[in-house]
Amino acid sequence: MTERSESELLELATPYAMHAVSDSERAAIETRVAAASAAVAAAFDDEVRLVRETMAAVSASTPVEPPAVLRGRLLASVKSGSARRFRWRTTVFAAAAAIAIGLGALSAGLALRSTAPPSTPAQVFAARDVRTVSGALPEGGTATVVYSREKNAGVLVMNNVPPPSPDTVYQMWLMGDNGAKLAGTMDAKSVTPSTTAVIQDIGKSNALAFSVEPSHGSTQPTGPVIAELPLI
Amino acid sequence: MGNLGISPHRIPGVRSLCAADVVCADSTGLPVRVARPPLRYGTMSERPPATGDLNSLLRRIAQHDVDAFAEFYDLTSPRVFGLVARVLRDPGYSEETTQEVYLQVWRNAGNYDPAAGSALAWVLTLAHRRAVDRVRTEQAAAQREFRYGSASADRPADVVADSAILREERRQVAECLDTLTDAQRECIELAYYGGLTYAQVSERLSANLATIKSRMRDALRGLKNCLGVT
Repeated sequence: MTERSESELLELATPYAMHAVSDSERAAIETRVAAASAAVAAAFDDEVRLVRETMAAVSASTPVEPPAVLRGRLLASVKSGSARRFRWRTTVFAAAAAIAIGLGALSAGLALRSTAPPSTPAQVFAARDVRTVSGALPEGGTATVVYSREKNAGVLVMNNVPPPSPDTVYQMWLMGDNGAKLAGTMDAKSVTPSTTAVIQDIGKSNALAFSVEPSHGSTQPTGPVIAELPLI
Repeated sequence: MGNLGISPHRIPGVRSLCAADVVCADSTGLPVRVARPPLRYGTMSERPPATGDLNSLLRRIAQHDVDAFAEFYDLTSPRVFGLVARVLRDPGYSEETTQEVYLQVWRNAGNYDPAAGSALAWVLTLAHRRAVDRVRTEQAAAQREFRYGSASADRPADVVADSAILREERRQVAECLDTLTDAQRECIELAYYGGLTYAQVSERLSANLATIKSRMRDALRGLKNCLGVT
């Protein structure tokens, strides 16, 4: 590397450390640092470190307390172990295509029986505070919960989730400050390409977790928690 | 623009970081509190996180110690959430991004290398990177710019932590930011908090790339020296 390109590279250490470069430029810089002499690479790394320590010190000027609910949700998530395995994507848009397909039959049935009192799903969908959380399961497929705190209930839709292996069931748990509360059990027969279930009494729970349990079911999660949907 | 959201508190005659005999810089340059009783959970934002504590917490988190994770969160989350919110300017996005940051901490605590920097800088670097990625993904520059005015005006109300210690720390940072030129502050604002690349900053300010790079570098050096970061 020429002296000129070395000094050019060092000039990029500050923008690089501040994430003020594009993705392609970042990759190019990293390649150049890897190819640089040990002295230049060390100087680059040292400058990156100093910039980051400096901005860490500057962060004393912008502290904001995060919403309290975030702490509980994170702790529930790491306690269940699910956080290590995959990441849930939280969505706040109203019922999407997956749900529309999953609940098509359900709503058609509701329309025909218009004199009957509204079912739990109908009440949830009509609620002012209806929310949606969705995520991919590590086993495959997706799970979506549409829920309302006001109606104290939710509707779970699972698409293309493989059935549990023989002699096991999926169990759903409402996770809260007082631990896990059983919310439902699904054996191999009840898991179809499009499975729906009503979840009652969500209360103050902050997540819906799924675990694999022996076929007789458990009263507390004993098997691996395969997934957890945060209920914001 | 050019205002980093911190009202300048110039106190004549106070220049040294240790002058107030409350907060000094430790060997890593991070502010450490001197001779204060430990604070309980829930008021952790009042306590500037000390490097040694955070290092040992990260070692325990790597072993999946939930208590250590909770403590690490309590010690660092106001800094992390504050930085993320400063970049994203949207409470929902900020909450989601902060959640992702801490799940990453839980999964990757074992990757933290104390030789490469302090634990606080490590977690804030993760947070800043995610926030910047999110800003660029959203490509909502126009909207954010629109919101910038009101967000800046509202800023003081955001800040919940208001102990004497923190006020002191904030004052020192504000003083150091005050030593920068307006042009330098503007670069930091646009690049670090605005999520722009230095090339975008140069376009925005109609200044050439070399000028922007040296402004950023000079700004960081000025801050580093003023804050006593080593």
